[in-house]
Amino acid sequence: MNGALVTDLGFALVRYRVLVILAVTFSVASIWVPGFFSAGTLSLSLDRAATMGLLAVGLTVVLLAGQLDLSGGAILAVAGITAIGLQESMGQIPAAFVGVMVGVLAGGLNAFLVVVLRINSLVATLASMLFIRAVGHYITDSRPVSGIDPFFGLTVSRPIEGTITGRSLLFLVAIVVLHFWLTRTVSGRNMFAVGSNFVSATASGVRSRAYLAGSFVFSGAMAGIAGVIQSLSVNTGSPVFGESIVLTAIAAVVIGGTRLEGGRASAGGTLGGVLTLGALTTAMEFQNIPAYIQQIAAGLILLLLILLDQLVSRRNSRDVGLRSLVRRMKALSRPHQEKERKHISHEN
Amino acid sequence: MRTRTGLGGLIAIAALTLTAGCAAETATTTDTNAATADDTVAVAEGGEVCYITAAESHPYVTPANEAIDEAAAAAGLTVIRLSQEFDVQTGTDQMNTCIGRGSDAIILWPLDPQAYIPGLIAAKEAGIPTIIINSPMDDEALELVASFTGPDVYEEGQLAADSLNEALGGEGSVVIIAGQAGNGTTIGRTDGFTDRLTELGSNIEVLQVVNADFDQQKALVASRDLITRFGDEINGVYANDDTMARGFIDAWKEAGLDTAALPPIVGINGQADAFESIKAGEMLSTILQSPYEDGKLALETVARLIAGETVEKRLPIKLTVINSSNVESEMPAF
Repeated sequence: MNGALVTDLGFALVRYRVLVILAVTFSVASIWVPGFFSAGTLSLSLDRAATMGLLAVGLTVVLLAGQLDLSGGAILAVAGITAIGLQESMGQIPAAFVGVMVGVLAGGLNAFLVVVLRINSLVATLASMLFIRAVGHYITDSRPVSGIDPFFGLTVSRPIEGTITGRSLLFLVAIVVLHFWLTRTVSGRNMFAVGSNFVSATASGVRSRAYLAGSFVFSGAMAGIAGVIQSLSVNTGSPVFGESIVLTAIAAVVIGGTRLEGGRASAGGTLGGVLTLGALTTAMEFQNIPAYIQQIAAGLILLLLILLDQLVSRRNSRDVGLRSLVRRMKALSRPHQEKERKHISHEN
Repeated sequence: MRTRTGLGGLIAIAALTLTAGCAAETATTTDTNAATADDTVAVAEGGEVCYITAAESHPYVTPANEAIDEAAAAAGLTVIRLSQEFDVQTGTDQMNTCIGRGSDAIILWPLDPQAYIPGLIAAKEAGIPTIIINSPMDDEALELVASFTGPDVYEEGQLAADSLNEALGGEGSVVIIAGQAGNGTTIGRTDGFTDRLTELGSNIEVLQVVNADFDQQKALVASRDLITRFGDEINGVYANDDTMARGFIDAWKEAGLDTAALPPIVGINGQADAFESIKAGEMLSTILQSPYEDGKLALETVARLIAGETVEKRLPIKLTVINSSNVESEMPAF
């Protein structure tokens, strides 16, 4: 056997761990849940994760910039309260728009705290989280507010043409857009530069502080969208919505291979992380497994992936890209092409 | 960079395939659903009930959950229990899970008077009968559900009035230690009490109503003031729950007064410490609202729905007045 190839295959498994863990979760889920792969159940798993996924899209960019944003859950609550509370006076669609704007403004506040006042992002967003949630309690008198028409919100939570729900579609679109932005545009690539080394990015002409500020505004906007969608789907705005959602979203992003140190992130990884947690929740709920066991599983997956991450980042020099692996495996399956295989082994 | 792009693209493709898979399967949705339904019936024998509970671990909710499991076993039904852990958002998502599963019925423990309404509409459209257990919702929600099973808080107030009126022989003056102002349970339990006294033509006068938020400490502070202000004038005490009744007893003892001279005290809930107080002669009575009955009634109601029977819109659970005559034979609620 080709020892080097086997080792590299092992490393490839680790590198594509999101896919592996997603496949494992789905397999386990399909054993546990009869008919898990039916359109209905899959659509449901995706729908369960969609709101958290929208937050995770925003957080991916913040984490990529090497920052943290804890205020997403609070922004989600206040954006939802706005979108529902203003329905009567200005109509449903303008109110939803204002809700998203609240998210943008809150993101702007975070950007101001971190970029202008230079407060550590953990502390800054912890403070804004407390502040924004308190505003939610204040404007509602700590009581849930309800919208004018429960049927309006059903459009986001009801499957479109029997496939996936409106909010799931929105989440997938957000992922695709994020993917193309991060990989195909100059500003997306600059974001990586800012995240991996702020000083040298600035030295090479990138307006690093603007990128940092932008990441917080984007995250706030995504939290705003998530909040509006969430509140519309239940026709209620409540100051207690989204109290634990941010940590789950951060976990999803990190499971997806984004590092808290910044400089590394991918939209596909985040999608994988969100789907993993969504499938996990659905599968365990169907099995009557208590919520705290779900948290144990999520925590263990997180730890396992971080440990694997450390393992691969120490061996980053190895070429375990999919293309090269496929090429080498093809070569292996055709022993008469001895020359080519040898050639590749030398290459490594 | 290259591999990152590769991975991202790969997962994006996987996701799109997944989505496309959903779309492709739509054509045969009816077949798939039929097959899934058959599977479920085969496993469940008598049908499946999706139960969205308030929490897994709570002094009142846990026994109610257990009662539902027991009653389901007796009725030959399978219960899928989803726990909201007191998070409304989780609960509203779980409504979709229940509908998506195509359960035969849903039992919902509402934590918000409004937020579940879109879910209830979706359940109704899917033809899944839903009942709500324990806590009331707004009227428009009650129109969407087959039934609301749970304690009647107004009746609890009435029973408390009966008990106290009898002990005082229809004469004297009492104080009311109420829960949170504006809370549905507080309003029901207090109005039930005062309305019943009027109905009975009782001469009992209410000296004062204080709000102590169902909190023992707040009840203790409020009771100190009441004892200082009214002293011997207090011939009886009605507390909206046993926790606050405990607060009055503590204030009485703290003031150095003789426990033998305690005025008759009535509480609600049937908590274990109220049972102890009744045994010790410190409390007159409590109204037992059993979580076992709460859960059992809910499950029996959905069992009837699944069997095709019609059920009443409002099904209150049995309430038992606990006093020295039956305190030894009954079990406390929690």
